[in-house]
Amino acid sequence: MFVTDIRKEFYEVVVNQVRNSSFFVLFYQYFVLINCGANVDLLETLQPEEDSVFFICDTHRPVDVVNVYNDTQIKLLIKQDDDLGVPSYDDIFRDDEEDEEAGDDSGNESDGSAEPSGKRRRYDEDALERRIERQRARREWEARRREILFDYEQYEFHGTSAALVMFELAWVMSKDTKDMLWWSVIGVTDQWVHDKIPHMKYVTDIATLQRHVSRHNHRNEDEENSLSIDCMRITFEYDLRLVLYQHWSLYESICNSCYTSCSFKLWSINGQKKLQEFLADMGLPLKQVRQKFNSMDMTIKENLREVIEESANKFSMKDIRVQTFAVHFGFKNRFLASDVVHAAAALLENVEKDETPTDNFIKALDCLSRSNLEWLHLGIALAKKKLKAIQQTVASCICTNLILSQGPFLYCHLLEGTPDVKLFSKPLALTLLCKYLLKAFVCSTRNKRCKILPLIMAAPLDVEKGTVIVLGIPPESETSDKKKWVSNSNSNHFYFQVSLLKMEDRGKFLDALIALLS
Amino acid sequence: MPTENLSDKRMSKFKNKGKEPMKMRDRRIAECVELRKAHKVESIMKKRNISSVGDEPLSPADNTDNKQVISETIQEIVANVNGDCPEKQRQGCQAARKLLSRERNPPLKEIIEAGLLTRFVEFLGRNDDPTLQFEAAWSLTNVASGTSWHTQQVVEHGAVPAFIALLASPMLNISEQAVWALGNIAGDGPSYRDGLIDCGVIPALLARLTPDAPVGYLRNLTWTLSNLCRNKNPFPRFSAVQQMLPSIIQLLHHSDKSILSDACWAVSYLTDGPNERIDVVIKTGILPRLVELLGFEELTVVTPALRSIGNIVSGSDLQTQAAIDAGVLSALPQLMRHPKSSVQKEAAWAVSNIAAGPCQQIQQLITCGLLAPLVDLLRNGDFKTQREAVWAVTNYTSGGTVDQVVHLVKCGALEAILNLLQAKDTKTVLVILDAINNIFLAAEKLGEVDKLCLLVEEVGGLDRIEFLQNHENNAVYRAAQALIEKYFSEDGDDQCLTTEATDSNFVFGASDLQKRFDF
Repeated sequence: MFVTDIRKEFYEVVVNQVRNSSFFVLFYQYFVLINCGANVDLLETLQPEEDSVFFICDTHRPVDVVNVYNDTQIKLLIKQDDDLGVPSYDDIFRDDEEDEEAGDDSGNESDGSAEPSGKRRRYDEDALERRIERQRARREWEARRREILFDYEQYEFHGTSAALVMFELAWVMSKDTKDMLWWSVIGVTDQWVHDKIPHMKYVTDIATLQRHVSRHNHRNEDEENSLSIDCMRITFEYDLRLVLYQHWSLYESICNSCYTSCSFKLWSINGQKKLQEFLADMGLPLKQVRQKFNSMDMTIKENLREVIEESANKFSMKDIRVQTFAVHFGFKNRFLASDVVHAAAALLENVEKDETPTDNFIKALDCLSRSNLEWLHLGIALAKKKLKAIQQTVASCICTNLILSQGPFLYCHLLEGTPDVKLFSKPLALTLLCKYLLKAFVCSTRNKRCKILPLIMAAPLDVEKGTVIVLGIPPESETSDKKKWVSNSNSNHFYFQVSLLKMEDRGKFLDALIALLS
Repeated sequence: MPTENLSDKRMSKFKNKGKEPMKMRDRRIAECVELRKAHKVESIMKKRNISSVGDEPLSPADNTDNKQVISETIQEIVANVNGDCPEKQRQGCQAARKLLSRERNPPLKEIIEAGLLTRFVEFLGRNDDPTLQFEAAWSLTNVASGTSWHTQQVVEHGAVPAFIALLASPMLNISEQAVWALGNIAGDGPSYRDGLIDCGVIPALLARLTPDAPVGYLRNLTWTLSNLCRNKNPFPRFSAVQQMLPSIIQLLHHSDKSILSDACWAVSYLTDGPNERIDVVIKTGILPRLVELLGFEELTVVTPALRSIGNIVSGSDLQTQAAIDAGVLSALPQLMRHPKSSVQKEAAWAVSNIAAGPCQQIQQLITCGLLAPLVDLLRNGDFKTQREAVWAVTNYTSGGTVDQVVHLVKCGALEAILNLLQAKDTKTVLVILDAINNIFLAAEKLGEVDKLCLLVEEVGGLDRIEFLQNHENNAVYRAAQALIEKYFSEDGDDQCLTTEATDSNFVFGASDLQKRFDF
């Protein structure tokens, strides 16, 4: 049913690397896996040489129990305070000796395909009873183990950003730099933007980062305050939750931000009216608001954030501001962390040119470096297009009632030929769309039950091959501290809630999912 | 008959060649995996030692007392058993039996070294004390269940005649224990087996085979009989087999699964030999019942029944035909689709041997619909099963008529075996190349080599054959090269044209082939 098992394919590539390494033992003995590998049994999957060592820095949770309990070949780079909730060793592993014996016993009895033994010993009745008792105990233990593992592996979620873990590692070794700090800011922000971690986790990590930022800024003050042109400055900001607004017009940013557009219900006429009222309340001239932010009147910009916050409060948008960081390259360039996240994601999933995923990855990587500002700007331009497309798709889905309630979940299927549908064949873009759509739908419907339903979204992946990409996100009002998603063993991709299927299998998949969730 | 000789020669070529090294290889792989697993567990344990609170050996008392306590108990047993008090003797014997019946590390060697066996064998003859007889018989049974050395100790202490005498005991539990002990001795190998037969064990056993015997007793009896049929080099002699066969056949109609299983195993041992041995079994008329047992649900019955059938169809053409006449071919497709891969493998092995027969038998494979499941196994079976299925294809293509070969290719067998050319196992690759060669020979007869070349190329077979020219094994390399040179090189073209011209009267065959190449 599933078209490709990307997870499998990926690990096959790794396997080959590992296998080849046996010829170059001198060169490859250590493997570093970044944002992959934690939640699969690596020894089983890769069958590596006995002296290969894997360092894993991965946010995917839950971590496979064998990875946790093997520390000769698997080194997990995970922050101590990340709550892993791993079951205790004795609950999931048993002593060798008992294992073997029980295995022997059951092996002889259950599998009738072997030749009978030439000799047999007669056991005591007591011994037989004891054996039965032990087998019973073992079966009980196994049932309990299955239960424990089921509870442990039931949901998939994300832990502390790999970027932050790596930065702290560098810091411990006194190798941290300001660039690295900025990248870990981007890593954490990405988790927040793409809804991988709950808000509380974001706030905690931001607080950690803030301590690092002030430490670094303090260190720089000592050095005679010289601000060279390419100097980099990171500042903590309590900034607006408006996407890319410093690189757009305020008006467009408000229209294309999930938070504001859902609060106003901008897809309705009423919503548009409300937006006008909001702008009027702020007392900003329309001409200025539609102006490029850079060219806006300095006097307006001065206390813009406070003005917007005040009005937003009146329109019951209490959380229009959020803790984040900004970076300054020289005097001219200022970026919010979320700006860079959107730009990098847009470059990573660029569908405009038929470039290979590798090329896109390299470009996305380049845009993070401050010597490649042109890439960053290109990324921002792409991100704007993407956000507009998302906004339009959300509006059309809501207005044409494309979201259906399937019982245990909401379901929306983007049809072929929908504008920008190619954009949504990529997991990050589809995640963002899903998130906006669910929020918008919950705002627009009177049905209270929708708040507690997850959303499953399907979009065409490759029209010629007739494949679809299916993605699920947790309910909007998920109060649990983990962003949980029911993992089903079939899902693949690194965003494990993403699956790729054949078009005609969609029905089957949905039926199975309904059965699973209800 | 020259034809039979010929086919026999061919069969010996196909049936036994290359099996042993393959088995060994499988075992090696299994061992590797085991080691790797063990190592993994070990690493997990290491981690555990770091984090665990205190990992003392489970119960120190348990470990240390073992050796000491045992030697003390044995001393006590020796004292009791060697005394004259019947009560003490019973106690001592029972204590020994309990030690020997423990699940873990029964002290077989210690008991033997304490010199207890002489007394135990003596006790077997104590008809005045059935309890003592029973405990001694049980103890000796368990000693004989050990290694060959352990069994040898029991035999050398003169236990065999004593046990055979005990078979006639009026106490059923004692007689049953004697049956069990004799089974252990017979199971040790051909020499003790024949020793027992010389001592007249068979009539004594068969005397106890009565309709009113309880099931548990019959199970032991059947198992002991099966051990008397077991082992080669040499086989049990004909007279003994003739003596046992009627009873085994009788047991094959019992309703108890465990009895059925052991009786089937007995038949499988008897058929696992030269054709004269197979003949003895066939003459009993048991084939229809064996075929019936193939349809049972219990794996413990199906496995030995299938093994017996497999042995029989590996015999002469006449013997194979007898199995076919008994309806084997209608039972096999189901077994080839059995959920257990071990059953699939055995079924494929049986098919491969039927396919090694004359073309009439091959025709029956087609008629009974065995080709479809065979191709399925080639595609989806586990490797051992695929290997047997490959043999079936090679045998089929070497003995089948041109039409039959064409039919097999139509069923998708060619594509399936071409896919298997990637197998790591050299022998299998060679067998496949053989089959491909046979198929080409058939195509040559039809003058359709060009089309076959095209088909092989289309399904990616040519690439694989070409690739095999780099194979480390010399025979594979040469076979692959021969195929390429003969059928796929440029100057092969002329040859094809000429054969086509000369064989132009094969009109029906050619049109047949044409249909095939449509897809």
